[in-house]
Amino acid sequence: MQNATDETDELFEAIGLDLDTERRSVVLAAFRPIAVEIAKLRSLDLGDVYPAVVFSPVPGMAEEPKETR
Amino acid sequence: MTSDLIGQPVDMLAAMLRQGRTSSVDLVSSALERIAAVDGTLQSFVCLASDAHEHARCADVEISAGGWRGPLHGVPVAVKDNYLTSDMPTRAGTSAPGIAFEPRDSSVVARLSAAGAVIIGKTRMHEFAWGNTTPPTRNPWDIARVPGGSSGGSGAAVAAGIVPIALGSDTGGSIRIPASLCGTVGLKPTFGRVSGAGVVPHSWSLDHAGPLSLTVADSAHVLNAIAGHDRGDPGTVPVEVPDFATALNQPINGLRIGVCRNHFFERNETGVLAAVEEAIAYFRDSGAVVIPFEMPILAYGLGAIFAIELSSSTAYHARNIADRHIEAFTDDVRILIEMGRLVTGPDYLKAEQFRRVLMQELARIFASVDVIVGPTTPLTAWPIDENTVQIDGTEESTLAASWRLTYPWNLAGLPAISLPCGFDGRGLPIGLQIAGRPFDELNVLRAAHAYERGHEWKDARPSIQRGGQSDGINP
Repeated sequence: MQNATDETDELFEAIGLDLDTERRSVVLAAFRPIAVEIAKLRSLDLGDVYPAVVFSPVPGMAEEPKETR
Repeated sequence: MTSDLIGQPVDMLAAMLRQGRTSSVDLVSSALERIAAVDGTLQSFVCLASDAHEHARCADVEISAGGWRGPLHGVPVAVKDNYLTSDMPTRAGTSAPGIAFEPRDSSVVARLSAAGAVIIGKTRMHEFAWGNTTPPTRNPWDIARVPGGSSGGSGAAVAAGIVPIALGSDTGGSIRIPASLCGTVGLKPTFGRVSGAGVVPHSWSLDHAGPLSLTVADSAHVLNAIAGHDRGDPGTVPVEVPDFATALNQPINGLRIGVCRNHFFERNETGVLAAVEEAIAYFRDSGAVVIPFEMPILAYGLGAIFAIELSSSTAYHARNIADRHIEAFTDDVRILIEMGRLVTGPDYLKAEQFRRVLMQELARIFASVDVIVGPTTPLTAWPIDENTVQIDGTEESTLAASWRLTYPWNLAGLPAISLPCGFDGRGLPIGLQIAGRPFDELNVLRAAHAYERGHEWKDARPSIQRGGQSDGINP
């Protein structure tokens, strides 16, 4: 049987947040007030609304800045 | 000594250049003198162009030969450090080792150059545009206070009279917030009006390129130079580009001014509220029709912009996370990029659904009004290192407070301008925000210019002197 810490570790691994325990606490604390705002958004029933981002089959010609290393 | 000359609006400089009463070389020298005098304290520039005098000489030759290209020809301008430039390094505000960007001109820089502007340098920004304080840049009105951000260097440089125009970028208010806090004009055009090609992304669907300037007319001249469809940016829209200068000096009789009484008028500092109410009264007294309304859906906007901005920024920085460059970022920016992983896919799409509802609601409102007027920021410039503020008895973070009134226009992609509308009891500038319909920058500029020419705020200058001590307002 897994303990809570193992499950939390697995959850963070699943979402791709590769941080040590101390760092994870810092990030979670900073996220807490933002999570409250996102929870408000989740409470809206928008099931029938088409998202503002619309897929287009025409390829864009984006000239985004490339990092050089 | 020529450094007083550069702190003048573009219309005046352009007239002097055409009449041979000054030269582009003199203006560049003037800007550099001003930088030498005050930027040791302000720290608004991160890089100066080594070829500015050479470009200025070419402009002088062309103008004297009758080849005037327009109001920006020969005028020194600055660009934010997230615009790629071929002859200066781009750092996007980071000092993390191992990160550099290709040396080529962004579309906006290329268009400015084609209009004859002389790029003199790059302005400091909050690291990767993820913040609103722009350390270590200082506010020219009070050097113990922040200039705002993320285009804080551009705001400080224009306010201090180093350049009449500096380019910024705006994802949640990053042009308008420093404009408000530094007492300049700042214009965020409609999403898709100006190319973002060659601007280091922060959040693709929220990022807007635009100017900060001394006057509304100067921003109109810049927009004339940089607007238009660009195949390099799939977000730009192939719509007609009007002459934005035609919006200047127009009457506002009958112009319908919307005032959203919820959200935009909740929890503003007393001085801000008073100045904006006076501005609304001015519009009414000038023959405009003031129409109050409410938009309850704005209560959900903060979650939406956080969901989009956090997840977009984290996606953009995936490589910097993987190779651990992020560990050298400033801690406030690093935390924001790391926490983007906590926003789920459904949250992101819900935020995009919310945007659709917001756009539809605003379209309904814009059937009855021509522009929407309110404060740009609920507070004036706050002290450096102060992270919370108390407004109307409620304590909140300066980050949360400062972008509360600007981010709705990023979510909706609508044009919005900030212009000075007074000073608070501490002598700090207050910003008035005017937003418009999609691609209707003309009415935004028309209303802004009508307000500006009825007041003298644009003539007030911070009297920051050599050595950097600000003596306060110097109208």
